[in-house]
Amino acid sequence: MPALVAQSLREYRRMLIGWTIGISVFMSIYIGIYANIKESPEVYGPAALAKYPGALKDLMGGLADFTSGPGFLQSVVYQLFVPMLFIACACGIGNRAIAQPEESGLLELTVTLPIERVRLLLQRFGAGLLGLLAAVALTYLLAWAIATNVGVGVPADRILAAHTGVFLLALFFGTLTLAVGAATGRKGLASAVAGVWTIGGYAVVTIGQNVSAISWLKWVSPFHYYLEGKPIYQGFPVGDYLVLAGATAVLLLTAALAFDRRDVGV
Amino acid sequence: MNGMTAVVEAEGLTKFYGQRRGLEDLDLAIQPGEVFGYLGPNGSGKTTTIRLLLDVIRPTRGRATVLGLDPGDAKVRARIGYLPGELALAGRERAGQYLRFLADARGGVAQARIDELAERLEADLSVPMGKLSKGNKQKVGLIQAFMHRPEFLILDEPTSGLDPLVQQEFLAMVREVRADGRTVLMSSHVLAEVEHVSDRVGIVRSGRLVAVEEVAALREKAVRRVELHFDAPVPPEAFEGLPGVRDLRAAGASVTCTIDGRPDALIKAAARFTVVHLVSAEPDLEEIFLTYYSGEEDQHARVGSAKPA
Repeated sequence: MPALVAQSLREYRRMLIGWTIGISVFMSIYIGIYANIKESPEVYGPAALAKYPGALKDLMGGLADFTSGPGFLQSVVYQLFVPMLFIACACGIGNRAIAQPEESGLLELTVTLPIERVRLLLQRFGAGLLGLLAAVALTYLLAWAIATNVGVGVPADRILAAHTGVFLLALFFGTLTLAVGAATGRKGLASAVAGVWTIGGYAVVTIGQNVSAISWLKWVSPFHYYLEGKPIYQGFPVGDYLVLAGATAVLLLTAALAFDRRDVGV
Repeated sequence: MNGMTAVVEAEGLTKFYGQRRGLEDLDLAIQPGEVFGYLGPNGSGKTTTIRLLLDVIRPTRGRATVLGLDPGDAKVRARIGYLPGELALAGRERAGQYLRFLADARGGVAQARIDELAERLEADLSVPMGKLSKGNKQKVGLIQAFMHRPEFLILDEPTSGLDPLVQQEFLAMVREVRADGRTVLMSSHVLAEVEHVSDRVGIVRSGRLVAVEEVAALREKAVRRVELHFDAPVPPEAFEGLPGVRDLRAAGASVTCTIDGRPDALIKAAARFTVVHLVSAEPDLEEIFLTYYSGEEDQHARVGSAKPA
């Protein structure tokens, strides 16, 4: 493994471990709740629908099928919370790759190593990708184990399909953060762009889907390519996922080219 | 390889940060085996020059080669050791582990070499980097700059934060590098820090290189205060109009003046009388340094472009 990839993994390690533990705890608690719901769906189903007003229900993906195994897993785990947690984690790593060490001056010695700028950026990205992949793999195994244990009744490959979607979403936003940071050297700006696109993108495909004036915006929302194919119900939406992966590749290329041309630490 | 090529060759090298001038029209050649002192106050363009040579920033216009290559070529950086002016080291990682990473990224440096340098500078590498004092950070910075025995060392304010004993050790390390025929560019805002190891010094001010001098020549130019005491009153005319003699005050049996450069003419004039006492202050290179600066300042004042710093 190149020295810079190993070093970058060491830098990201604490953050990755923290998020993995946090997401694991969240999933353990929330998937575990399904045991109760399964016992008395007639109580929890109407209760959930009654608890949330219309717009909030839309925001939670409808909650229509809340008491079925797939419906529960989609609404509680894969609709909003776990994607958002992973996106936050990935954006954190995306900023740690370039903009954060640049602002603190730590990047100065790294850019003066005999490593081309493009390669440097790709290795920082590669380490983040590996770290994110490890976090996703661990949480997938945990999600599958708990879901099996409480009898959610969703096959492993459907959970994998949803988890892969979460990974691609997180990777997209992490790479977006990296790209803005690599192009400008400003982590605050990078976080702001990623944050606005995340919140806006999610709103557009949920509460915005019935508002015709903005519904076309779903095409630029990464969430569209994750939620539209209903991976928990229908398995891998291959085409949509390829769109996410392709967009990520474009962002990565942009990041590399922008970083290669730029003055660092000015 | 080709020992005759200049280690640094800059032509019209210019960097503007927006409207602000970082460096303008730098023409400079640094030869193999020389220790070049790069002097100027903070914000004068020293760090801008250094970061241009390392391709951290890109010139607005002009060009530079380092070791005969374009600074953008990553291969050239393998042959350079660099100590940044504001070295940032942070986090829980131990200094030794970080040095190991830098060594590996540079294609491998024996651990024994790192340990030897750490011992020489009395650096404790088991401390997490975030907890290092300024002086210890600087030591870690020096270790990583020297460890791979680079052909060319670029040291930005290397002595800042070092205590005097470590400074001496550092200067010894620089002399060893020169004895190996390797090249050093070191910046400072204090001439005294570099004059004892430098072959030449360049003085940069407000983004412009205002002078490049051999240290030996600078010593010749040194402004020296001299006092001569005679056994009897001397005629002032005997000392008037001597080359290099200024601020002459002859009163009775004593003469005081300042001399630029060689004291030869003054000594020969004094030799005609009986000298009972001679006081000559050590040449203060700092003073010459300031002379260059004040000259530059006058010029700015004349064209009315002087800005408050």
